[in-house]
Amino acid sequence: MSSKGGFTMPKLAIGAVALIALLATPHFLGFHHQDLLIFLTINVLAVCSYRLVTLTGEWSLIHAVMMGVGAYTVALSVNHFDLAIWFTLPLAGTAAGLIAALLCFPLLRMTQFYFLIGSFAAGEAIRLTWVEFVGVFGGTSGLRGVEAPVVWGIDFLDPIPYFYFTLVVVGICLLILYRIEHSRIGLTLHAIHWKAPLAESVGVNAWRYRALAFILGSFFVGIAGGLKVHYLGSVTPNQFTIGFMVFILIWVIVGGYNKFYGPVIGVVVLTIFDESIRSFEVIRPAIYGGMLILSILFLPMGLESIPAKLKSWFGSDSASDEQALSDQ
Amino acid sequence: MELFLQSIANGLVQGGFFALFAVGLVLIFGVMGVVNFAHGELVMVGAFTIWLLHAQYGLGYIPAIAVAIVLVTVIGLVMERLLFRPTRADPLAGLICSIGILFILQVIAALIGGDGPSKQVPPPYQGTLVMFESLRIPYQRVFSLAISVAALVSLWFFLTRTRYGWALRAVALDREAAELQGINTNRISMVAIGVGTALAGLAGGLIAPLTNINPHMGHNVIVTAFIVTIVGGVGSLSGAVLAAILYAVFHTLITVYFGATIATISGLVLMVVVLIVKPTGLMGVRVSE
Amino acid sequence: MPVLEINNVTKKFGGLMALDDVSFQVEEGEIRGLIGPNGAGKSTMFKNIAGFYSPSSGDIRYQGQSIAGRKPHNIAEMGVVRTFQETTLFQELSVFENVLVGCHIRSRSNLFAAILGLDRGLQREAEEKVAEVLDFMGLGERREQLASELPLGSQRALAIAIALASEPKLLLMDEPFAGMNPEETNHMMELTRKVQESGISIVLVEHDMKAVMGLCGYLTVLNFGQLLAEGTPEEIRHNERVIEAYLGGAG
Repeated sequence: MSSKGGFTMPKLAIGAVALIALLATPHFLGFHHQDLLIFLTINVLAVCSYRLVTLTGEWSLIHAVMMGVGAYTVALSVNHFDLAIWFTLPLAGTAAGLIAALLCFPLLRMTQFYFLIGSFAAGEAIRLTWVEFVGVFGGTSGLRGVEAPVVWGIDFLDPIPYFYFTLVVVGICLLILYRIEHSRIGLTLHAIHWKAPLAESVGVNAWRYRALAFILGSFFVGIAGGLKVHYLGSVTPNQFTIGFMVFILIWVIVGGYNKFYGPVIGVVVLTIFDESIRSFEVIRPAIYGGMLILSILFLPMGLESIPAKLKSWFGSDSASDEQALSDQ
Repeated sequence: MELFLQSIANGLVQGGFFALFAVGLVLIFGVMGVVNFAHGELVMVGAFTIWLLHAQYGLGYIPAIAVAIVLVTVIGLVMERLLFRPTRADPLAGLICSIGILFILQVIAALIGGDGPSKQVPPPYQGTLVMFESLRIPYQRVFSLAISVAALVSLWFFLTRTRYGWALRAVALDREAAELQGINTNRISMVAIGVGTALAGLAGGLIAPLTNINPHMGHNVIVTAFIVTIVGGVGSLSGAVLAAILYAVFHTLITVYFGATIATISGLVLMVVVLIVKPTGLMGVRVSE
Repeated sequence: MPVLEINNVTKKFGGLMALDDVSFQVEEGEIRGLIGPNGAGKSTMFKNIAGFYSPSSGDIRYQGQSIAGRKPHNIAEMGVVRTFQETTLFQELSVFENVLVGCHIRSRSNLFAAILGLDRGLQREAEEKVAEVLDFMGLGERREQLASELPLGSQRALAIAIALASEPKLLLMDEPFAGMNPEETNHMMELTRKVQESGISIVLVEHDMKAVMGLCGYLTVLNFGQLLAEGTPEEIRHNERVIEAYLGGAG
């Protein structure tokens, strides 16, 4: 939290190199991997927005469904009103944010375990609504025909332009998320996480901040859902099950949720890992499950904590003492 | 009217299953503070065992149930010892570990059973009990209900009449206080997860001949268990049993008249409403902060 | 006009009477001691005043306005701020950040300003306030340290600094002296007087009799949820009923 230092030259240089590498990447990949790269970029937004929700210390299980809300909003607005992608994406975020705002009233009366289960119930109820009301949402086969259009002569059906587009959208969203976390608002969210009563005693309306985090997180994951449906061209209720929610959890936890970039590391590393064990189709979930358990048991602060750990093992005397995992 | 009565009867039988696995979930949560997300998969393992041993290899139904119970209990004990105990300080960690187990159990089931269609186990007990003209209950369901009730009654005796039962309830009430009184909380956690998972194994065994068995059947089970646990009041066993019966009847009736998806949506909405209006559920007591 | 009026406040938990028809008043600018044996209801009274509980019956008035049953953050905004027993701090944040959270009421940034970086002025103002409070509490040199790394005395000072950052007019201090050695106690007494001199009224719940007798002009004694006695430290010291209550509690 305390290291807020500005952008130094080396940091800028690393950033520039990373950006160039990122822009060049799709040109060296086959079609399948280009697909993967786009989904990865979208999932980065999903995990980072999820982290915003968890900043107050509450773990929700509705995030995947909120992504679905964004996706369905895009599909409906394209099918019925033929809206362009410039409008559908903000609309997707707004719809998810609005639903989240409504859900705040029941859900944020709960904390901890109750919030977890309550958010799960609310999410599953929304998802089953898509299954049940075939006329509007297309039932289990969902909605189709929402491919991103050709805009200004750029064919967004082609993965490379769509990847660049996704990169820009996700980049802007991440920048906003980063700024929120490192503002006073972010500090207040952290404060609520560690000691809600103390924060309240100096005038913080904890409920409003929890609501803000939940709504903003949903807004950004709604945009992620919109990006996904525009690329896939279709949306089904099965894309946003508790199974996908669990993947978001895994990415965030394996990456490490204490730092902004932890979840990004998690989703990138695990996506690459996932690709490398593609041949073990059937047992892939078990490998995931095993890794999840191992990382909880042996790396509770996530992959993000490895450099600091290495430093303290091999590092000079200046290395900080073993970081005490002080529980709140 | 016929349909209505029949639905209520079916609902009661269903309530027996619901109670078996919901009570297990409550026991584990109450004593260990862990939300066992893999509880549905434990029921699935129980059902799969019946399919494999009874339907495939011809072992008797009752011995197959016994094996299912033992197997599921062992899985539970291993989970407690290797996962939940080391992560006791952080309730979220336990939950995440159980999600890991969930994946692993699903994969093992898929490997053993193959990726084909859902399995069925022919009911070992044929025939139908005719209560009166309009109410007929297959013997298989009568058997299930009887065993569920017997198991719940034994659990009640265990909790109220035995030393371990007392200790278990003491730990559920206040872990630290129980520790100060010299109760070995680790051993009691083993007992709690042992009993809880044994009930899940039994539920799987009983449900096997009445349902489609596949590696993903645990999802519906856990959704149901959550609804029942919340509506009954987290931490309340009698609340869970009552809620299980009420919810099963409710779910069966809505399924008959409006369809299964609507029934589940109603259940989930009901659960959120209970969480808002009375977070302590039907029988729960608010634990002081 | 008294800054705080407690009028016939009763708080029940199930069948248990934690507070039974308690009334007293706190005058502007004083340090009022609220004492009594363990379980007398002092903490429950605090929580009722600060909005963490709401009274079962009776009224609590701050500057003539009823605050009973309001939310903690509303009460804090009105100028009534509490500190907590033991060391309730944001352990994972730096001293500076701890106090910055305390500036919440005074300078609140809105979402869009925060994203676009338009809240610099506000931010600078808040940082100046933090620096001022830290200097006031003698924590200026520790601003970058983590709260969890501070020694006990500084942790307690930080707890008060967080409260001061929200610019209270009435400060409720919950056992700020518990577990302190004589030196730390003396330092804390000085700080408390400094806070009073800056124009803040204080209600002090404390077991450390030396501190209470030294700081407070007037004491309110609770026992078993009821008002037992009120008076100057000298009067209370010689009050038969108070002596009996304390001896009874200790024996």
